[in-house]
Amino acid sequence: MNPGTFELNNLNLLRPRGRDRGRKIEFKLLVLAGGYALAGALVLYLSEPVSGLNALAAAVVTTAAFFIVHIFWNKNRYRGDLFLLPVTAALSSTGLIFLFRLNPAYGMRQFAWILIGLAVLVLVTRLLANFRFLSEYKYIYAMAGIVALILPIFFGKEQGGAKSWLDFGIFQMQPSEFVKILVVLFLASFLVENREILIKGTRSMGWLSVPGPSEWAPLAAMWAISLLILVFQRDLGTALIYFSTFLAMVYIATSRAFYALFGMGLFVAGAVACFFLFDHVRARVEIWLNPWPYIDTTGYQVAQSLFAIGSGGVLGTGLGQGYPNFIPAVHTDLIFSAICEEMGLLGGVGILLLFIIFIFRGIKIALNTKDDFDALVASGATALLGLQAFIIIAGVTKLLPLTGVTLPYISYGGSSLVANFILLGLLLNISNEAESRL
Amino acid sequence: MKKNIFKLGIVLLGLFSILAAYLSYLHMIKGPALAVNPYNRRFQEIESQVRRGSIYDIKGVVLAKTEFVGSKGTRIYPRGADVSHLVGYISERYGRAGFESYYDNYLLGMEGADRFRNLTNKLLGREQVGGDIILTIDSSLQRMAIDLMGGRRGAVVLLDTGTGALRVLASSPSFNPNKLDELWPSLVNSESSPLLNRATEGVYPPGSTYKVVTAAGALSANPDLTGKIFDCPGYLDVNGYRLNDTSAHGELSITRAIAVSCNTTFAQLGLGLGPESFSRTAKAFGMGKDPGLETPAWPGSMASVGMITPTELASSAIGQGEVLVSPLQMAMVAAAIANKGVIMRPYLVEAVNDSLGSAVQKATHKTWLVSTTPETSEIIKEGMIEAVRYGTATAAAVSGMKVAGKTGSAQNPHGQTHAWFIGFAPADQPRVAVAVILENAGSGGSVAAPIGGRLLSAAVIGR
Repeated sequence: MNPGTFELNNLNLLRPRGRDRGRKIEFKLLVLAGGYALAGALVLYLSEPVSGLNALAAAVVTTAAFFIVHIFWNKNRYRGDLFLLPVTAALSSTGLIFLFRLNPAYGMRQFAWILIGLAVLVLVTRLLANFRFLSEYKYIYAMAGIVALILPIFFGKEQGGAKSWLDFGIFQMQPSEFVKILVVLFLASFLVENREILIKGTRSMGWLSVPGPSEWAPLAAMWAISLLILVFQRDLGTALIYFSTFLAMVYIATSRAFYALFGMGLFVAGAVACFFLFDHVRARVEIWLNPWPYIDTTGYQVAQSLFAIGSGGVLGTGLGQGYPNFIPAVHTDLIFSAICEEMGLLGGVGILLLFIIFIFRGIKIALNTKDDFDALVASGATALLGLQAFIIIAGVTKLLPLTGVTLPYISYGGSSLVANFILLGLLLNISNEAESRL
Repeated sequence: MKKNIFKLGIVLLGLFSILAAYLSYLHMIKGPALAVNPYNRRFQEIESQVRRGSIYDIKGVVLAKTEFVGSKGTRIYPRGADVSHLVGYISERYGRAGFESYYDNYLLGMEGADRFRNLTNKLLGREQVGGDIILTIDSSLQRMAIDLMGGRRGAVVLLDTGTGALRVLASSPSFNPNKLDELWPSLVNSESSPLLNRATEGVYPPGSTYKVVTAAGALSANPDLTGKIFDCPGYLDVNGYRLNDTSAHGELSITRAIAVSCNTTFAQLGLGLGPESFSRTAKAFGMGKDPGLETPAWPGSMASVGMITPTELASSAIGQGEVLVSPLQMAMVAAAIANKGVIMRPYLVEAVNDSLGSAVQKATHKTWLVSTTPETSEIIKEGMIEAVRYGTATAAAVSGMKVAGKTGSAQNPHGQTHAWFIGFAPADQPRVAVAVILENAGSGGSVAAPIGGRLLSAAVIGR
């Protein structure tokens, strides 16, 4: 344990503890998030009373469900972070309202998935409250992750150019959404065990000291296999998220910029190779540089996204008054463009602010931990969610090439929603652990 | 390790700050262009749901309206080709132009109170209605101008000297906006450029009509010229270059020089002014200046001061050389003389009404330029009255009203001279000014002056 952690804990001793006041802040913030959801649903109801009624009912029930989770935690003296649940409530309500507005059938399904996600969240905070034992199973995560990624290659179903779906009849599952949890857990447990060696190295290569193959090989293998599989699945966005999370966690654990730089070098080399090897990668980059010549074909999606954003102005057209259905895949990956069209710049920046609060709390939780495994899981989960949100928002605004990933908590999709609620549960458990310590 | 986590936090927050900044840029700077991009289907979509507003002329005559056959609206232009350069068109295939395009937001009820009204209408399932535009144009005068041009290439501009309101802005040949989709291929390929609004965007040498500007410059620089007698032997030598006049005018005063359009006198006056004063005078009459009209207007051009040689100066002074103007500009030159040296800002939109008929925009009358002094303009006016009485512009004379005018026959590389006339009436108490040009149609005195006279008469005394 480094001395910095010790000092931080001493400071915590002197600070008045928020936990004595129970979860009042969470309650107040949930009232705000609930009001926001109900206002949105009411607008939908007023403009289309038939389908709007479902939206209204779904918003009421969803808000109630968030309050039930809050009440449950309050009763069990759960001390997880007070801000994360309200922020998540606001994000998933935004998703729910927009899905009802875009396509009520998706709205109903998303409603069910939010309830399932909340149930999973409660289970995680209940059953995995003592989560440390999770650090024991790192090779199980690796195996499970690899299997989960290989399955779709053989049995998968292609959707939107990515072959990353498993079809279970009544619903489809996207294993890569769950694998990201396994990636965080694997890296955290592996890095905790091998941190010292990775920092110091066991042999020297000229001026550089590097660890032996037994330490870095599992890491490199994990990284290479997941990336290769993702290339075969053509799911570039997910590969990018895994990879940047991987770099962030290795850097945090080792403090060695060399690893981060070496990783980035590898990534640039990989990206250049992909550009020349794969037509679909080259096409994406060309569209990104200039979508207008391809406006009727491959550039259609990003052009429609930009039109939607540009037509929104500062205040937006108002909920239900724009034409976001012109955008392909607007209910999943491009939902942010719909938000920008109908809620304008202010709505778009509002969503960004919610993610910023989420990241801020996640980093705070990571800084507040006493255990290395806790710190790595918390920072890894925060990095993962933050980077995923960044990559898709940057994609739909054409700041980066558009790659298909979901916008956490907002986009339509059960796998994505449930996986993100599990990550939320892990973050909350870590803060619960830190708050309960004293 | 905590330090690294802190750094990660900074990096992530930095990434989101970049996103927020970029999103603002996209909404605020790029947004307007993206919203009206021809590939953006939103405008057509809104269009199909809104009863688009109408465009009227100053007397309430409909220039553009939407008529419904069943639920499908069709845009109708009752005045057809007469005002098509101004009113413009909306075509799913060929885009939109003119006031139909510039005032789209108002016509579709997307501005001000109409925006909220139509939002309510949409929520309640009622019809959404757009606002109306009232132009300053007098469509009967416009019709007359088109008739008088008789299918020849040219333009007519007629405006109220006291307000700057444009009553006629006619360009020939024109096109029928009701049949745009069928006509389009022939319109874009036609050599006579029917889509070009010659009245504001035509580029012509002004010929002798420009002597009005030269006279204003010379008289302001040297008021004694009023009493001076010039001598015209029928030619002028400038640095070995011989500038021929139409005839030897002999001894003449400045007003007579205007009336008979003496090249020798005006070339001398231009040389006397020098490049700088000459160029300053041109700018005072609006050369090179955007008048801020609601439709695109070409601001005119001339050689820059440093490039003006004596030969160039002498020919510029009589409206040849590198001086190029639009018909709108020459109408404003006439208006300046009529209005004691003051040019009012020209405008075309009298009012914009919202869907309930209350005005959201109303024209105001503003001085655009003070071109010259009342004394100078009085002398030039005298010359222009004499031009109509006995000089080159006698064909502009009408019964019952005194007209002031100046003709021009501008040489150009495309054949016969362009026939010009600028003038105003009534000469004693001017109300309207006019500019007429017919491309390669012959002399201004015989071709353009009669058209100018008839239009002034129709505008002032109604016949």
